[in-house]
Amino acid sequence: MATISFDLVSPENLIFNDEVGTIIVPGKDGDLGILPGHSKVMSSLRPGRVMVYNEDKSLIKSFFVSGGFAEINPEKCIVLAESVVEVNSLEKTSIEKEIQELENKEGKETEEQLSVAKAKLEAINVNYYDKI
Amino acid sequence: MPSLKDIKTQINSVGSTKKITSAMKMVAASKLRRSQEKAEAARPYSSRLEEMLSSLASSAASGEGIIKLLTGTGNDQNYIVVPVSADRGLCGGFNSSINRETFKLVKSLEGNGKKVQLMPVGKKSRDFFNRVMKDQIIESFVDLNVSSTGYESALNISNKLQELYFDGEFDKCILVFNKFKSAISQEVTQQQLIPLDVSNSEKQEEKENSSNAIYDYEPDEETILKDLLPKNVSIQIFKVLLESDAGEQGARMAAMDNATRNAGEMIDSLTLKYNRTRQAFITKELIEIISGAESI
Repeated sequence: MATISFDLVSPENLIFNDEVGTIIVPGKDGDLGILPGHSKVMSSLRPGRVMVYNEDKSLIKSFFVSGGFAEINPEKCIVLAESVVEVNSLEKTSIEKEIQELENKEGKETEEQLSVAKAKLEAINVNYYDKI
Repeated sequence: MPSLKDIKTQINSVGSTKKITSAMKMVAASKLRRSQEKAEAARPYSSRLEEMLSSLASSAASGEGIIKLLTGTGNDQNYIVVPVSADRGLCGGFNSSINRETFKLVKSLEGNGKKVQLMPVGKKSRDFFNRVMKDQIIESFVDLNVSSTGYESALNISNKLQELYFDGEFDKCILVFNKFKSAISQEVTQQQLIPLDVSNSEKQEEKENSSNAIYDYEPDEETILKDLLPKNVSIQIFKVLLESDAGEQGARMAAMDNATRNAGEMIDSLTLKYNRTRQAFITKELIEIISGAESI
């Protein structure tokens, strides 16, 4: 089976760069599953999970991104993300605490932070896409 | 003629200066390596963002809202100049060349009848412009600590700039910073940040367009562009901060290397002087003893 080259880049550094089988990215209008030979798409992302699978569809890594962009062409997929963490390294209790603190505050920025934090919590709790 | 003791004290004091400068050089060298790595790590993001933007730029026709970051306000009257210097001195001509270049730029813009405001980044340029053009400073950013919280500082600066831009405070924004060329050389560079200058990426765009087809956009071009443009401003600033930080360490390393060498030369010449003076004293004493003995 063919592979597609996948780059995950944050402002600070290049986080992931390898040939992979499938990638799922959280597009603004819905999740996008990307296989080798995908048509050319440029999409902005919502906060959520970027899942990376190898050729036999087993999960290699899952990252949480707080938004960004994806550029996809048949040979390559590039995700530019604002902040990237591995889902495994997220801690449920500290995020829950963060959400509680943010809920007591107001303002536009807080709202944004809150939606990111909620998305983080969701990323830990859900397990669909673990097997495809 | 200075006494032996005077020369000895002088040698000692130059010696301790030399120790300090050589230590500073070593610190700068290790910091330089780290800053350089950071600057290199940030490069893929900004270059890919630029690629994306250049393929999108052609679709921006209307000058409404956020798109103004790309198309400009249509005016050319109010400027904002952002000199990026270091927070600390002792790095040769690093800061003064930034200040000089900015000063020249401001004067020439004013000569053309433009209104110029300043937003210095870094203590050294803030202090300088506080002295010479105090009433033109609208905001200043100091103590950025680029190596640890660089991106956050860049976000602060870019948010402030965009706020001012959409309030109609200025039409064009120009960054003046030291571009990192190599460990020993920096180049003072001017970059137009707002509106975005896509002229240098146009060539790239042509290449892309000729080789492949058009993208699908999700949700649509305008929405993506609206997300992408503000981000690009922050990333450009972040890149400049990193370059300037690496440049600062490089400049400091070179300056301290020079200082250490000069101190070494000074010690050599002082030691020579010390030995000559000592010999002169001995000779003088001998002559006195001999002539004393002869007269008996």
